[in-house]
Amino acid sequence: MSENFRSSETKFLDKTNRISFKYNGKKYYGYKGDTLASALLSNGVHLIGRSFKYHRPRGIMTCGSEEPNAIVQIGGSGSFTEPNVRATEQEIYEGLEASSQNCWPSVEFDVGGINNFISPVIPAGFYYKTFMWPKKLWYSLYEPAIRMSAGLGKSPTQPDPELYDHNHLHCDVLVVGGGISGILAASISADNGNNTVLIDDKNSLGGSTIFQDDENFKIDDEIPSVWLNNQIKNIKNKKNLIIKHRTSLAAYHSYNYLLARENLADHKSLDERSNKLRQRLWKIRAKKVILATGAIERPLIFNNNDRPGVMLANSVKKYIDYFGVRCGNKNVIFTNNDSAYETAISLNKKGINVTIVDIRNNSSSILVKNAKNAGIKIYWNHTVVDTKGYRRIKSIQIMKMSDDGTNVIGSKINLVCDNLSISGGWTPMVHLFTQSGGKLKFRDSDQVFLPNTAMSDQISIGSCNGDFELDDVIKNTNSECKNFLSASVTDYDSLTISCPKQKESKNIWLLPNDKPLGKTKPFLDFQNDSTAKDIKLAMREGFKSIEHVKRYTTTGMGTDQGKLANMHALGIISETAGVKMGSLGTTTFRPPYTPLTFGTIVGRNVGTFFDIIRKTPIHEWHENHKAKFENVGQWKRAWYYPKNNESMHQAVQRESKAARESAGILDASTLGKIDIKGTDASEFLNRVYTNAWSKLAIGKCRYGLMLNEDGMVYDDGVTTRLEENHYVMTTTTGGAANVLSKLEDYLQTEWPELDVWLTSVTDHYATASICGPNSKNILKKLFPKLEFNDENFPHMSFKNAELNGINCRIMRISFTGEHSYEINIESKYGKSLWENCIEAGKEFNITPYGTETMHLLRAEKGFIIVGQDTDGTMTPIDLQMEWIISKKKYDFIGKRSLYRSDTMREDRKHLVGLLTDNPREILEEGAQIVQDEKKQPIEMLGHVTSSYFSPNLNKSIALAVVKNGKKLKGQKLLVPMKDKTINVTVSDFVFFDSKNERLNA
Amino acid sequence: MLNINYPKIEKKDYPNLELNLVEPIHKLNLRGKSRDFFTKAGRILSIMLPPEPNTSATIKSISALWLSPDEWMVYGKDIEKNLMLSLDSEISKLNLGSVTDVSDQWVLINMRGKNVFEVLSKGSSFDFNQFKNNKNVVVQTLLNHVDVILHHNDINNVDLFVRKSFSEHLWLWINDSSSFL
Amino acid sequence: MFIITCPFCGERDQSEFSAGGEAHIVRPKQPTELSDDEWADFLFMRKNIKGVQFERWNHAHGCRKWFNVIRDTSNDKIHAVYKMGEKPPSD
Repeated sequence: MSENFRSSETKFLDKTNRISFKYNGKKYYGYKGDTLASALLSNGVHLIGRSFKYHRPRGIMTCGSEEPNAIVQIGGSGSFTEPNVRATEQEIYEGLEASSQNCWPSVEFDVGGINNFISPVIPAGFYYKTFMWPKKLWYSLYEPAIRMSAGLGKSPTQPDPELYDHNHLHCDVLVVGGGISGILAASISADNGNNTVLIDDKNSLGGSTIFQDDENFKIDDEIPSVWLNNQIKNIKNKKNLIIKHRTSLAAYHSYNYLLARENLADHKSLDERSNKLRQRLWKIRAKKVILATGAIERPLIFNNNDRPGVMLANSVKKYIDYFGVRCGNKNVIFTNNDSAYETAISLNKKGINVTIVDIRNNSSSILVKNAKNAGIKIYWNHTVVDTKGYRRIKSIQIMKMSDDGTNVIGSKINLVCDNLSISGGWTPMVHLFTQSGGKLKFRDSDQVFLPNTAMSDQISIGSCNGDFELDDVIKNTNSECKNFLSASVTDYDSLTISCPKQKESKNIWLLPNDKPLGKTKPFLDFQNDSTAKDIKLAMREGFKSIEHVKRYTTTGMGTDQGKLANMHALGIISETAGVKMGSLGTTTFRPPYTPLTFGTIVGRNVGTFFDIIRKTPIHEWHENHKAKFENVGQWKRAWYYPKNNESMHQAVQRESKAARESAGILDASTLGKIDIKGTDASEFLNRVYTNAWSKLAIGKCRYGLMLNEDGMVYDDGVTTRLEENHYVMTTTTGGAANVLSKLEDYLQTEWPELDVWLTSVTDHYATASICGPNSKNILKKLFPKLEFNDENFPHMSFKNAELNGINCRIMRISFTGEHSYEINIESKYGKSLWENCIEAGKEFNITPYGTETMHLLRAEKGFIIVGQDTDGTMTPIDLQMEWIISKKKYDFIGKRSLYRSDTMREDRKHLVGLLTDNPREILEEGAQIVQDEKKQPIEMLGHVTSSYFSPNLNKSIALAVVKNGKKLKGQKLLVPMKDKTINVTVSDFVFFDSKNERLNA
Repeated sequence: MLNINYPKIEKKDYPNLELNLVEPIHKLNLRGKSRDFFTKAGRILSIMLPPEPNTSATIKSISALWLSPDEWMVYGKDIEKNLMLSLDSEISKLNLGSVTDVSDQWVLINMRGKNVFEVLSKGSSFDFNQFKNNKNVVVQTLLNHVDVILHHNDINNVDLFVRKSFSEHLWLWINDSSSFL
Repeated sequence: MFIITCPFCGERDQSEFSAGGEAHIVRPKQPTELSDDEWADFLFMRKNIKGVQFERWNHAHGCRKWFNVIRDTSNDKIHAVYKMGEKPPSD
């Protein structure tokens, strides 16, 4: 049995709840509350993965979201697998399976490790420089090879079966971070009557203070862990406060709009999870935000600082004090500050061997005094120059530093160890602050960037605001929250706090070595394997901007986004370039703060809910009659109704013939319908349509064309005058909402004097359109009381009628060129109306047809479809529709634009008909049209906009827009396709019944 | 005979949430701004059209919802044909404003129970914190990207209006969201 | 995603609104009297300021009313909202 590294009791784990899990196929045990990292460390496992570029063995370095190395694949194969999970954040559960990434065949022996030995020939920018030539090798050799070795984890191969949800949250105050300052802020806020939300990414509150048991720290005579524990108990009972655990803030946008991911299931066993939400994305709108995101410990940059067993000092403290796990039996602590001495004292108290290497000359801190008194050996003014041990650190070599810190002197001292805890000071987590648009300032004394000016109503408190001492944290948190929340008194006004103060400090971004930089590997970005020498190389090669250096060296571009080492990269750049860090600035912090799965981002907008679906009242009938549906905007429209294995072409040909030979019926309910009332309704229509409306008699219908102010066709449709001051306008299906909004715009802003009221009635009516020579006979059967002769009910007129006592509006209008009627009825009767029509039409072989046949029939007649034959660059003149432009009207929307020099150009593209020389050949919609294939560069004259095989003409027909098309009638043009060129002749665009005789047939 | 068909929406129960289709119900859209318009509408309906944004007025079973400074929706089981006709003849016909029957334009879904606002919050960016404590308030907003009118007529009791063509889809979404409370 | 205070409905999420471009561009009463250049000026020319800009917005998914917004395009800060036909606040 392997050694147990769980060395002390801890109240933070549930020792009665032992949990088994698998790592790289081997079974291990831990306790409820353990992270995968703490459980593995308790089993003595340090080696977790291989680095990205050099495949160097790497181990657990931290205990939180900043972890660069210990990222693992969770789950087995298939859909329940997730790559790039930080072992330091993943809680263990019964049955958890995790494995190492970026190694083959195993983490112990990885073939890619060869990269480590050839690393001198793969410096920064290696890929950019090497694979440039020969160019043709890129697709065949370089890219496939790079792709195979690139990437860290493996993507799932099947759809994600887990459930994710979204929810909105509105609060007065959002507190981000559940450490001591966040807890105090939440408490003050809630006490002040604010509806407050506190979010924290861990499973319990308290940050690092909750395991601060050092006797040198006191809050009201209690040690901080005890005092804080009471506070936590306290706030849990506050009415105004919601606490969300395991919730990490992903993004902080302007206007205090924040996104947070709440993890609901990842700590539960698979059995407990089934059919429950895995994660929820909270869309938070907070009136005020308090950031208490804390600080992250900095590593130190020296040769071979990346071996398994090299960890951050405060993380080592958390593992021993919180999880009860020692990270080694022989520990060396390497530091430039006093805080790491807390770790040393903690380890020493638990009887664990520890030695300290400090780059400073001395420190007068009480912590240092205590360490000395405890008999801990301290090497002052020394630095680590090398580490040994491939899969786990075995020893380190230290040397004395010169007085100016730029060099090492004397001889090497070898220290045997199995853990090296490093501490280079602290970096405030200002990521979220800058995401929200905040600007930073630089504090020279301890070389940190701090929040300066914020864009929204927010403050930063605690160590993310640069307060690192317990008394500063508490006092400043209290006073800043009071100020921010206008609170007069708080529970924390008269606390007595004692704590040691940080004394002598010394910061060296890149520690000196006895070897030249080129012979060493001082890692900055552990995940992406970029070293200090890569940064210097980039600068030698002329990269000056930090954003460029970042991209060239990939520093800070891993899944951890360089949380640990970005500061050192900046430090080295500023030193090398001789620029002050404050003026150098930082790279841009972008959301998400920690990676989000796609599942969380899309929530329930998958499958059925991927997009909105609109259905007509007759939809069910279409479904029952095997219609194929077409998406038109959000609508599902019946496309065609195949019978007995018909292909689409066969069905459409049959439907088209039937509609012209006897009768066809179309569900036209999707057309936009706007009810227009008011004494100025006619004047309003005069202004929005190109043609004149004042003289339209009551009971008559008219086709109208609507332009934009730029003169381009915007929408079209038939409008009916129901009464003197009452019209109903129809719009295109796709244009309905936009047309209404545009009309409202003109009424509200340009013409507020007009007495006109608009109301959308699109969904109020169902519309069945019956066309064909027998349409009249069918209508007669349905409405026996109505007279259908051309005098009483001529083309382009309207009648009110009743069908079984229910009111209908019947318009005799036609989009097919056939004699036809549109029946509108309240939509709850829509399906029943349709069934009645089908029943009445049975003896005439009434044929339901879909949008495809509708398109074909109108193309035979040369009727345009706005959006298909027009694209926002066609004027009515281009469409050869001069007849619809009123010459008498003084003004209408777009009128003036029809007389601009550009719209009057003779060689604009015009709508024309095209006939293929081979009448069986059907053109492709969108195909380009040319005159001379040989001309270079080839001149594109236009393109095909609509194309069908017409069963009624027994030949192929097409509409197209062609440059100067009006003058090209009868001319031969070419449509070059991939494998052939099609010969076409420009024709009139009305192919069928050009005298409109069928309308009255 | 013509049959009546509504979208596939039927009564559903979830923890602290009850969903119901409430149809048939008459709905009218009223638009106007003149004093005569207000007087006439008020007299015929026996309800003052609420001038205050985001509010409603209810007398007996008829409610008038504020939709915009010159637009209201009036709905209720007791709206009879005669009422609609007299509104039409005394407002529309006299050019005081417009009265339009929108009974089938909108589908009414009633949601009641403690979890109403929990479900609505999943799909709407509207801040319900104040809204849920007040009766007779109205909001027009987006729910799962679909336009809705929400009428909070009693505590934890919401009449939701959605355009008919969207109603089946939104109904499915509400049910889906209600199943992960 | 910012918050816009509709002058009628109050504070709402940006997703309920649609933008309508620069405000206070009045449609000429007599377009036919204008030269091509004058008409083009009305039709195409927009300031597109980096900084404080006067804009039109529509509460498209609420009361459907159009109104004016004074917004700093460099940081999305909204300085004022006022109804159509009203003059912009002077300060």
